[in-house]
Amino acid sequence: MGYPFWETGIGYGPLMAVIAVLHVFVSHFAIGGGLYLVVAERGARARADLQRLAFLERLSRFFALLTLVFGALSGVAIWFVIGLLSPSGTEALIHTFVWAWAIEWTLFAVEVLAAILYYYGWKRLSPRRHMTLGWIYLVAAWLSLAVINGMVTFMLTPGAWLQTGAFLDGFFNPTYVPSLVLRSGICILLAGVFVLFVAGGHPDRRSRLALVRGAGLWGLVGLAIAAAGFWLYRGVDVLRLDSFRDVAERLRLPGMATQVMYGAACVLAGGLLLTAVLLPALQRRSVGGVLLLCALAVFGGFEFWRESARKPYVIHGFMYGNGLLVGEDHPGGEESLLDRLPYRTGDDGRDLFNRACRSCHQMEGYRALKPILDGTDEHYIEGALAGLHKMRAPMPPFAGNAKERATLAAWLAERIDRRPLHEIHGEAGLALGRRVYEARCGSCHVRGGYEDVSETLSDFDVKDLDDLLSDPDMSEEMPMFHGDAKERQALIDYILGWKKEGVR
Amino acid sequence: MIVLALPDVHVLPAPLWLITLLHVLTLTLHFAAMGCLFGGVLALFLARLPGGLEHPNARRLVKLFPTLMAATVTLGVAPLLFVQLVYGEVVYSAAIVSGWFWLGIPIAAMLAYACLYAASFTKRGVRRVRVWLLLALAGLLYVSLVYSSVFALAEHPAAQKDAYAADPTGLVWYADVGAWLFRWLHMVAGAFTVGGFFFGVLGRKDDVAWAKGKALFGVGMAAAFVTGIAYLMTLGDVMKPFMQSAGIHGLMLGILASVVAAPLFVKRRLFLSGLSLGVGLLGMVYARQVLRDVRLQGHFDPTALAVDPQWGVFALFAVCLIIALGAVAWMLRIYFRAPTAS
Repeated sequence: MGYPFWETGIGYGPLMAVIAVLHVFVSHFAIGGGLYLVVAERGARARADLQRLAFLERLSRFFALLTLVFGALSGVAIWFVIGLLSPSGTEALIHTFVWAWAIEWTLFAVEVLAAILYYYGWKRLSPRRHMTLGWIYLVAAWLSLAVINGMVTFMLTPGAWLQTGAFLDGFFNPTYVPSLVLRSGICILLAGVFVLFVAGGHPDRRSRLALVRGAGLWGLVGLAIAAAGFWLYRGVDVLRLDSFRDVAERLRLPGMATQVMYGAACVLAGGLLLTAVLLPALQRRSVGGVLLLCALAVFGGFEFWRESARKPYVIHGFMYGNGLLVGEDHPGGEESLLDRLPYRTGDDGRDLFNRACRSCHQMEGYRALKPILDGTDEHYIEGALAGLHKMRAPMPPFAGNAKERATLAAWLAERIDRRPLHEIHGEAGLALGRRVYEARCGSCHVRGGYEDVSETLSDFDVKDLDDLLSDPDMSEEMPMFHGDAKERQALIDYILGWKKEGVR
Repeated sequence: MIVLALPDVHVLPAPLWLITLLHVLTLTLHFAAMGCLFGGVLALFLARLPGGLEHPNARRLVKLFPTLMAATVTLGVAPLLFVQLVYGEVVYSAAIVSGWFWLGIPIAAMLAYACLYAASFTKRGVRRVRVWLLLALAGLLYVSLVYSSVFALAEHPAAQKDAYAADPTGLVWYADVGAWLFRWLHMVAGAFTVGGFFFGVLGRKDDVAWAKGKALFGVGMAAAFVTGIAYLMTLGDVMKPFMQSAGIHGLMLGILASVVAAPLFVKRRLFLSGLSLGVGLLGMVYARQVLRDVRLQGHFDPTALAVDPQWGVFALFAVCLIIALGAVAWMLRIYFRAPTAS
């Protein structure tokens, strides 16, 4: 909260994703690729297979350039960007895990030098020493993953650290082992599928078939290990606790991510088995490219699931995505949020929007608020702000006082289309009723889902519903209805229509 | 307000002196590598060797640049980590105020790195090498300009708040002549001095390259002296407390050790000269560190941070560091002792 808020113009989510996704793919490939290179070199040297050695030398050049130039510096870029987007979260991680990061730095230094000398040493070093460098690289790179894994999993499942604050409790948290198994499998998978893609264009048929078959087996082994890791992940007790299950029910994203992951994994397993292991002659660059995309979809699906499951926290149970600490989150409290902001723009509404909402929402663009709020009004928004933490989408409570809630509501209302919904969309009757329900009720009450009120309202008649919508004391966390007469009538008709449809 | 009993993360996991020591040591190493790289590229363009980039010394330098870049990046990670640990409050804020420029650093460094590899690998003649090197130099210049600007701004919290109020979009370029420009010029001159030294050491068996190296080293040191004095003159109100602080000892050590390095270099006592230059750099980095504390007086006091040491994990880090140093030494040994082709 004590930091300035960066008004980027683009959403924080996409900005982070652009940098993180590419780095994560390359960094995992770097580890699996290292293992592939040394194991393949060992086999090629044992068979005195000069063609294979030449292939591996070319591969190692690409591998060294990709991992050193892009991999290392995109890792630095992630560090830079998290410091800009979530300085409080980054500060918490660095203060808790600085020595883990320092350990990772020593491993990184060894990894970088070993990769450089491995590439330059093909013709200079004896085979034994050259392969030793490869193994040193691999060990350093995998240990580096094992260290970073502690911090990444900590953000999702800090475990006993929340009570003890102890380094080891946070580092070896409940998802540490499952994640490490899964990521190790992903490393092997990405390396296997990448080699498959490259080998598809190998000019010599015999070499191509051998390379393809070997790489296909690598891919399958990696996929199996990753699947085992994900199975362990899903079995972690803490992920079954209410807060996580709640997120999965309230947010569609984790479910969508797992569906993408499962679908891509099935295509990948079938594709690898068929075109790489059983019928390697079928393998082409294009097929390898598709399988590589599937592998990236499997991994991307997992990362997306993990990130979605953590919402609305940046460190689960400790700090929200907007930097607010759990313990400072008392909705309806008297404490001022603005008083806690040393960096101000001079516009209170803008500062409140930045601090409370902007980490996850833009007015237009990423997770846009305008389309959600269009057709509503300042009173509705003010009431909704009081019950943010009750909404279907997991969100932190608004951490300001009543006056600031009104300020933010006014600021937001100025930036939306305040015409009635029937004017904006030209709708009437049930269509308008559904639209009004979605706009004014649907954020907290989903028919047949989250906080469903269908049963409760099924016995209401027109008068009951009219009274309900006019009741100013219904709930502190529920905005009163301020739509016009047309909207009110359409909403009542829509709710009464549920009876005819059956409650669901 | 009810506050749950959650862990307090605003504590230092080691005593301040230890973190400062690690920061100063690793930053010195980073500056040394950066000087060899950035100063080396500058020196290569300014040396005007006969044959230009075809000269053997130039070719050796070009081949070494990618590895120097790797060293610069790797050695830059640790000091940034330690400075964020202690001075996060001012460093993150300054970075956010100049967010887009700050985020451009890894991108510029990545492009520079790629260009250095391209220059090293290309077989399409010296013109292509020159183009790649110029692009790399542009990337490195960008990085140096932004680092100086952001870290200068980090030492001026009041200026951060004013700048943010004027523009919260991360497009603030802090360009105060005293706090930033002379600081940057001094850093570039320092890098050029180290680059000149490196150029000379690499070309010590070639009379022309050696002579050029000596000249570059001398010019760099003179430029560093002039810009350093100019920077000191702009300190204003901070000058007196800085002169009364321990930073003056670092500054004196820096100046004396650097001056001693020059005649040793001319006499080809390269190890001693390099050692002296390194000690000088260490003194300057320490003075820089103290100057930051002096500037931040009244705004931020690192000694006020609570300390809760994690000695067990620190010990593991120390063991890892020793193993890593051993592994690095062994890898370099087997590589450089091996015949050039087999």
